[in-house]
Amino acid sequence: MLELRNINVQFSGRTILKDVNETFHRGEIIGLVAPNGTGKSTLMNVIMNYVKPNSGKVVVNEKLQYKTKKDEVKIHEVISMMPDQSDLYNHLSGIEHLKVYCSMWNSDTDLIDKTIKELGMESYVKKRTGTYSLGMRQRLCFAMQIVSNTPIMLMDEVMNGLDPNNVNIISNILLKKREEGKIIIIASHLLDNLEQISDRIFLFKDGALVNSAVVSNGIGKSEISTVRVKGLSDIAKEILINQFPGTNVLPLSNGVSLIDVSSFSVEELSQLVVFLHDNKFTDFNFGNVSLGDLYTMFYIKDNTEINTSANAAGLAEEYIRLKQELEIVKRAMTIVARK
Amino acid sequence: MKPYFKFELSQFITNKKNIAIYVILLFLACFYALNIAPSYKPIERVDAKEIEARYTSRESFIQNYLNDPNRFQGMASGGLFIFPRWNELDKKRLESLNEGNLKKYASVTSKWYTFSNDLITSTGQYYYSPGYYTHGNLYASDDGNYGYSYSASRYAGYGEGKSKLSINVFEERTALQTLQRLLESYLPMILIICCVFLSVDIVLKDRLYPSLLKGFPISDWKKLLIKGAVALIGSVGIIIPISIGLIMIGIRYGFGDFGLPVAIYTFVGEPTYFKKGEFLNTSMGMYLLQNFIILILLFALIISLVLLASMIIRNEFANLLVGAMFIFNEIFYFKRGIGFFEEVENYPTNYVQVGQIISGYRNYIYNSSALTFDKGVYVLGISTGILILLIFVISKFKRYKLV
Amino acid sequence: MWKLLKNNLIIERSSKKNIFAFIFVALFIFGLAIYMENWDVGNIPAQKTSEQQNVLSALSLFPDMDASADGDSSDLYKNLNEQQRLIALQRISANLNKPDMFAESAINLAKLREETFQLEGFEEVEEFLPTFNENKLESIFYERLTSLDIPIFTDNLTYYQFLIFLFGILGSIWFIFLAFYTCGIMIEDFNHTSLIKGYPLSFDKYVAAKGISTMSIILIFIVEIFLCSLPLIYFRGLGDPSYPVAVFDGNYEIYSIAKYIGVSVLYMIFIAIFVILLSLILNVLLKNMYLTLFVELFLFVLPSLFPRLVSLLPFNPFNYINFTDLLDGKSLELAYPVGLNSTHGLIYIGISIVILVVIANLFLSTGKLKRA
Repeated sequence: MLELRNINVQFSGRTILKDVNETFHRGEIIGLVAPNGTGKSTLMNVIMNYVKPNSGKVVVNEKLQYKTKKDEVKIHEVISMMPDQSDLYNHLSGIEHLKVYCSMWNSDTDLIDKTIKELGMESYVKKRTGTYSLGMRQRLCFAMQIVSNTPIMLMDEVMNGLDPNNVNIISNILLKKREEGKIIIIASHLLDNLEQISDRIFLFKDGALVNSAVVSNGIGKSEISTVRVKGLSDIAKEILINQFPGTNVLPLSNGVSLIDVSSFSVEELSQLVVFLHDNKFTDFNFGNVSLGDLYTMFYIKDNTEINTSANAAGLAEEYIRLKQELEIVKRAMTIVARK
Repeated sequence: MKPYFKFELSQFITNKKNIAIYVILLFLACFYALNIAPSYKPIERVDAKEIEARYTSRESFIQNYLNDPNRFQGMASGGLFIFPRWNELDKKRLESLNEGNLKKYASVTSKWYTFSNDLITSTGQYYYSPGYYTHGNLYASDDGNYGYSYSASRYAGYGEGKSKLSINVFEERTALQTLQRLLESYLPMILIICCVFLSVDIVLKDRLYPSLLKGFPISDWKKLLIKGAVALIGSVGIIIPISIGLIMIGIRYGFGDFGLPVAIYTFVGEPTYFKKGEFLNTSMGMYLLQNFIILILLFALIISLVLLASMIIRNEFANLLVGAMFIFNEIFYFKRGIGFFEEVENYPTNYVQVGQIISGYRNYIYNSSALTFDKGVYVLGISTGILILLIFVISKFKRYKLV
Repeated sequence: MWKLLKNNLIIERSSKKNIFAFIFVALFIFGLAIYMENWDVGNIPAQKTSEQQNVLSALSLFPDMDASADGDSSDLYKNLNEQQRLIALQRISANLNKPDMFAESAINLAKLREETFQLEGFEEVEEFLPTFNENKLESIFYERLTSLDIPIFTDNLTYYQFLIFLFGILGSIWFIFLAFYTCGIMIEDFNHTSLIKGYPLSFDKYVAAKGISTMSIILIFIVEIFLCSLPLIYFRGLGDPSYPVAVFDGNYEIYSIAKYIGVSVLYMIFIAIFVILLSLILNVLLKNMYLTLFVELFLFVLPSLFPRLVSLLPFNPFNYINFTDLLDGKSLELAYPVGLNSTHGLIYIGISIVILVVIANLFLSTGKLKRA
């Protein structure tokens, strides 16, 4: 178990993490989502004790804390962080890197071959990493962490530079690790993928961790609660609301509008499809509020990223307004499984 | 701890700089064995011709003045008093050389050196072997006195000992004796410089791979300890390329044996103006062992110094400077005879010239009695201990980060 | 380009390496002054005592003979006897502070010694005496000293005297110091190739800027050498700037202190440029700071290890890198003596610099810059 208790981090007057309180349990994959520079890496650095919080503490397995250097070593035996691909030894081979990590954490050497096979690295793992592409280096870094086999794993941008196939492979491995009872915390920008594999997803807002499930109940669940339409004009919106009074339309800044269909019957859903077709709207899909939608709602306003160093009070107001908008979406019901 | 040790060791061995150091040492060892060793001209040679020339000239003097009524006047009396004894010794030396009886030669030569040295120091009329009086050497007679006393002692040892004797042994050309000579000249300096170079980046190299190494479940103190141990092993490994040079010399001039006598300048009590030390023989094996022990301690001290500098200053250039300052420090404050007044034995930097410490030559030129093996072990051991303690304390600071 | 230079200097200003290099130079100067004090460098009575001992020891090799002018001893014996007398005279004049007598005996001694080289049996006594070269330098030195009417006995730690001694040492260590200082000149960049490749300026301009900023700092080192010696003016005085220095620059000459220091500084600057370029190229070839250092040091000691090379390859710039030995005519004392001309030395180093620039230009198209 990993607990974060009242973690506060400030750099040069800026609040990076504010009152972060969370507990992570065995067999969980935690997703961290936020734009660059909003505190994802800082949180991971705090968990690893590379950054000391201004207040608060990290508690591992209910008793271990970063009190002495000895404790730090003990904690590092159970928590590992994925290394950065730029720090690989170019003159060493991939398998040499894996052997180092395996021996350092005293884990089962069989894991090395197993992981190489799972990641399809056989063809190049014996070559010097200096010859690797970005994707190969990234996969190696992931493999190194898998091979260390710590109960808690932190991964910052693990899917960086990977093609969809490799994203898939790594996701499957992560799911397997979860079944083994590991806690895996992933920071990523691949929102769809994160949504698929994570048990809980947290967004960063003003230094605080916001659980996306609290914000949007249906996230990740298999239900049709929303129809996503691209390019819905204001006039069409008015007509739609008149024609379907039990609904709400939420326009997003990326040109997509979310139509709340949580209370719709199958017939009403069909009528909606007809309406959209007749009004020449061809780019739409059914589903629920996705992480991407949440990201857009949270972070993107008028096609520009909100600068989190802007006026905090103004941002708080913005946040409340968005939260109220999302209350509408919250009324989605579970009806049918997504295709 | 073991996996980290293996990790550091493999990094050390594959480091291009370290490989280059071993290769360069091998080259220098072979260069020395092939180029320099053969052209070594010892000051104290086994030269039958030279002995004969002196013998003949003195003999003719004796014959000339033997029956002269004025023979007890002036310089002649001095010569008549001294020369017969001198010639008796030289004659025996020549005879034993001709017979090939090297043991006898050694015994007589020892007596010859003692006699000559007493003569030269007491009368001031005679001179040591020419080799001491090179242009620019301000301390020729001191060196001569040392050289003659040293030779007297070792030749006595040759005569009494069981070692196989040869001209090469007498002229200290065998592999082990060459090692002894080198330890008393520039070899310790070279070894220590290599040690500095080998350890200069052992901490700081990790800066290039932080995210890989930061999370290792091993404390900073243990990491530093292991790094130090690896550097020490690597420094001791310098012996290998040097041994190859020694083997090459051994093939040509003989290896010598560990029972060969090595004359050590020792003191009983404090030196005074009149009371000087004396030479006592120890075995080559013991001499080399003592050198080895002091060298290891010096390595440990230097490595600790470099580790500490790496932790505090975090710059490789600075590490090199710190190492250089330790090695060359003594050159700046050394003054002949100053050991009588200052407690030079307490400065760890005085033990850099390892061979000269063990052989007692440092005591001779410092005019001290305290620069000995035991003191060296004590001073270097304590200094290293202090440095290691500092390293321990700093590494335990919460704020301190190794990588 | 100026912006780049300015940026480089701002980076270098706070670099730990530079701070330590400056400290090292200062400590070296102070340490040298202490060393001179301890070893009593230039103590004439001590030198003369030792010389006298040497000659007496040489004489002891000869059977006692009649050394008078019409005696039956060898010319060498007579010569050595006369030398011994002159050295004794020098000793006395040094102790009694009689500079004229000292200088006169010095000149006569030098003449005598010059004769010994031709005499039969010289090889037996060779090691007791100064070399032909050393003798010649002393000869012209004292001749000039007497003609200029300059005090013979001077304090060696006055500012100008100290500088002579200092520049006499610098020849041996300047290259070594610079090799250490510049051996990593491009290494940092190899870890950030994607950064450098993307710069909006040509790569050779980038490298040139790096070389120039390094050179500026080295020039500051040279200034620092003079500055750190200044305290001696307070402690021991300025000394005599017209004091002569005997050198061999192809011929035996007398330089004034100013000229000697001037030539030395010129050499130091040329050597600095040479080393910077060499380090640049070796960094690209070897991609390792220490390997660069070792190669440079090896090239530096090569003429000492294999003296034959000096006469075989007189245009090898490394023959001239130790400019002190060069100006002392040490090349004439080798087993295969060769007279090296210091002006030629500058030319050869200059040519080498041009060659290195050409090589650097060829090499350093960005493609060669790969991550180590």
